Amino acid sequence: MKKMTEAQLAELETDLNAIREEVLADLGERDARYIRRMIRLHRSLEAGGRIMMPFGFLPPVFVAATATLGIAKILENMEIGHNVMHGQYDWMNDPSLNSQTYEWDTVCTGDSWRRTHNYEHHTYTNIIGKDRDYGYAVLRLTDDEPWKPWHTLQFINYILLSVFFQWGVGLHELETEKLRSREISWREKLPFLKQFARKGGRQAFKDYVFFPLLTFPVAPIVLAGNVGANLIRNLWSSTVIFCGHFTQDAETFTEEECEGESKGHWYLRQLTGSSNFTGGRWLHILSGHLSYQVEHHVFPDLPAHRYPEISGKVQAVCRKHGIHYNTGSFAKQYGTVVKRILRHSLPEKLMGMARAA
Amino acid sequence: MLVRNTQHKALQWLGRQLFNRNDPEAFFDPLLEHINPMWVQEYTPARVEQVLSETHDTKTLVLKPARRWSGFSAGQHVHICVEVDGVRRNRTFSLSSSPLLWREQGLVTLTIKRLPGGLVTNWLHDHLQTGAVIGLGEAFGDFLIPEPAQPVLFIAGGSGITPVLSQLETMAAQDYRAPVTLLYFVRTRDDVIAREKLLALKARYSALTLNIIATNESREPRYLRGQDLDTVPGIKARQVYLCGPKGLMDLAQGLLSERGFADADIHSTFFSVPSANLGNETLGGEVQFESSQMMVGSEGDATLLEIAEAAGLTPRHGCRMGICHQCSCRKTTGTVINRLTGQTSGPGEETVQLCISVPRGPVSLDL
Repeated sequence: MKKMTEAQLAELETDLNAIREEVLADLGERDARYIRRMIRLHRSLEAGGRIMMPFGFLPPVFVAATATLGIAKILENMEIGHNVMHGQYDWMNDPSLNSQTYEWDTVCTGDSWRRTHNYEHHTYTNIIGKDRDYGYAVLRLTDDEPWKPWHTLQFINYILLSVFFQWGVGLHELETEKLRSREISWREKLPFLKQFARKGGRQAFKDYVFFPLLTFPVAPIVLAGNVGANLIRNLWSSTVIFCGHFTQDAETFTEEECEGESKGHWYLRQLTGSSNFTGGRWLHILSGHLSYQVEHHVFPDLPAHRYPEISGKVQAVCRKHGIHYNTGSFAKQYGTVVKRILRHSLPEKLMGMARAA
Repeated sequence: MLVRNTQHKALQWLGRQLFNRNDPEAFFDPLLEHINPMWVQEYTPARVEQVLSETHDTKTLVLKPARRWSGFSAGQHVHICVEVDGVRRNRTFSLSSSPLLWREQGLVTLTIKRLPGGLVTNWLHDHLQTGAVIGLGEAFGDFLIPEPAQPVLFIAGGSGITPVLSQLETMAAQDYRAPVTLLYFVRTRDDVIAREKLLALKARYSALTLNIIATNESREPRYLRGQDLDTVPGIKARQVYLCGPKGLMDLAQGLLSERGFADADIHSTFFSVPSANLGNETLGGEVQFESSQMMVGSEGDATLLEIAEAAGLTPRHGCRMGICHQCSCRKTTGTVINRLTGQTSGPGEETVQLCISVPRGPVSLDL
C-alpha cells in the first residue's frame, strides 16, 4: 500500500470532502427525477416481462420475455436497490426510497445486506480477515491468505458462486467458515437463518411457484423463463462486483496497517482497493454505476448517477497525490479477475517456480 | 405519516410475496403518478383547485382530495406533503373550511401564512399553482367544538384563526345554540385573515360576537388584557379555545388561571416555529425516544447515537462516521445539526443519521 504521512492523508481527506460537499449542496430535483425515471423503467420492464412470459411458447417471445425480466431484476438490484440502501436517496424523504426499510428483489434480506455490505464491506474494504466480501470466504485471491488444497479447484467454485449468486449473497452472513472452525455456533445463526428462509422462500415462491401456476397450461415455460431471468441477473451482478475489487491492481490491506486509521487513510484504502471499468451509458446504469467502483467506495451515499460527473475530479485528486486510479475496459478488467482467481488456485511457491521456469 | 395503511391482510401478504412491500397497490405509483398524479395509491393525493389571496402574506388553498380521504371534524389539522427541489417536506396545517364543504362539494381549504424564512410556506406561496397535486394525510387533533352546545370563547392570533374559521362556519351552519365570542388579535387591520367571511358569519349567525383587535396600530402594543376577558358575558361558564403565537397563548393561559379556569375548560392548539428563540450556536436539548418511552437531556455536541447509548439504548449502527447509514432513523420533530457538514435540518419528520446528528433544541425520534 502506498505510504502517505498523516499530513498528506489529511490533505487527501480535505480534497475529497470538497468534491463530496459540492455534490451534496447541489442535490435536488434532477436526482429525484433520475431515480424515479429508473423506477418507472423498472416497473415497465417487470410488468412487460411478466406479461410476455406466458407467450414464451413462441421462441422469440421467450427470449424477449426472459431478457426483459432479467434486465428488470438487474436494474432493480443494481441501480435502484443497492443504491437506495446505501442511503443515496434518503435526503428525498420518500418512504419508498428509505435506505433502512427498502427491500429488494433478491434472496438476500435488506437487513442482512445493510450489515454485511454497507457496514462491513464498506468500512473494512479489502482488509484481509475483516472484509468478508474479499473472496466471499470461497475464493483465495491474495497470497496473504494461506493456500489450502481445495483452492486448486476454486475456479469451479467461482462458476457455482456466479450461477447461484443471489443465494450465495443471501447466505453470506451465515459465516460458514466461522461455523466450520466452531468460532460461532449454529444456535447464534438461528435468527439469521429464519429471516433467510422467509425471504428466500418468498423469492422462490414468486418466480418458481406463483407466476408459473398463474398461467398453469404454460407453467414450465414461465418457470424456465423466470429461472433464466434470475440466472442472467446472477451472472451479470457477480461479474460486475468481481470487477470492483478483484482486478489485478486492486490492493489488499492487513488489519495492523488499518488500526485506528484516520478518515484520510480510509479514503486512500477505498481509492486503491477498488477498480472501475469503462463503457457506454447503459453499461454504467445496468452496473448500478459500480463501473465507477472507486467513486462509489469513496462516496457510497452520493447518488450513483453523479459518479460519472465527479470522476474527473477524483482522478485529478489521485494524480495530485500520486495514487493509481484503477480503470480499464470491461474485458480487460474482467480478464485480470479471471487470471487472479486462477493464479491463486495454486500456492505462491508453485507460481514462483512456474514463473522462474 | 401520510402513508396509508393497507387494510387487507391478504393484500399485504401478497404484496410481500410479489413486491417485497406491504402496500402492493403503491408498487406502480411511479408509473401512475406520471400518467395522472391523482391515481397515486401510497398516500391520498389532493388537487389544488384554486389559490386565493387573503392578505399580503396569507393565501388559502382550495383542495380536492381523492374520494378515499376520510374527512374531518371542525378544528382538526392535517399533514400535507409537497416536494420541494426533490425533497418531500411534511408540514401540519389546520383545515380552515367547514366539514360541510367536504361533504357537499368534496373540497377542503388550508389557509397558510408565509413564515419569514420558512422553507415550505414560502414555496407554497411562490410556486404552488392551480392544478398541482399535493399529498394529504388523514385529519387529527382534539381541538373540537363542545357537544352538546356550551358557551364558547375563542382567542385567536394571526394565522391561528384557521381552525376557528372552520369551527365558526360549522357552528353557524348547524345554528349552534350557545353564545360564541371571538377575540381575534392581528398586527394591523390589514392582517385580518378572511375578513369578509368573518363579517358574513357575524351577520347571519346572531350568537356570534366578533371582536377584532389590532396589536400594533397604537404607540403602545395592545395585547390581550384581563379586561378583554372580564367584558365577555358569562365568561366563567365558557369553554375557552386558544390558537395563536406563543406569546398570546402564554398571556391567555396566565389570565385564565388567575380567573380560576380549570385546565379541562381550556383547549389549545400550538402554532410555534421551533427553535426560533435558540441562538445559532446552542447545541443539545431534550431528546425524546418515542418507542422506548424515554426522555433524555443532552448538552454540547453529543450526537443522537451517543445520547441514545448513554441512556442505555442500543440503536442499530455501523461505522459511526456517517458512511453506512445503518443508524438512520426517523426524526418526528425537532432540529438537528449535521456534524460533518454543519447543516441544519428542517423541523419536520425526516430520516437522520444518528451518528452524525447533534440535537439543537428538543428532538423526538422514532426509536
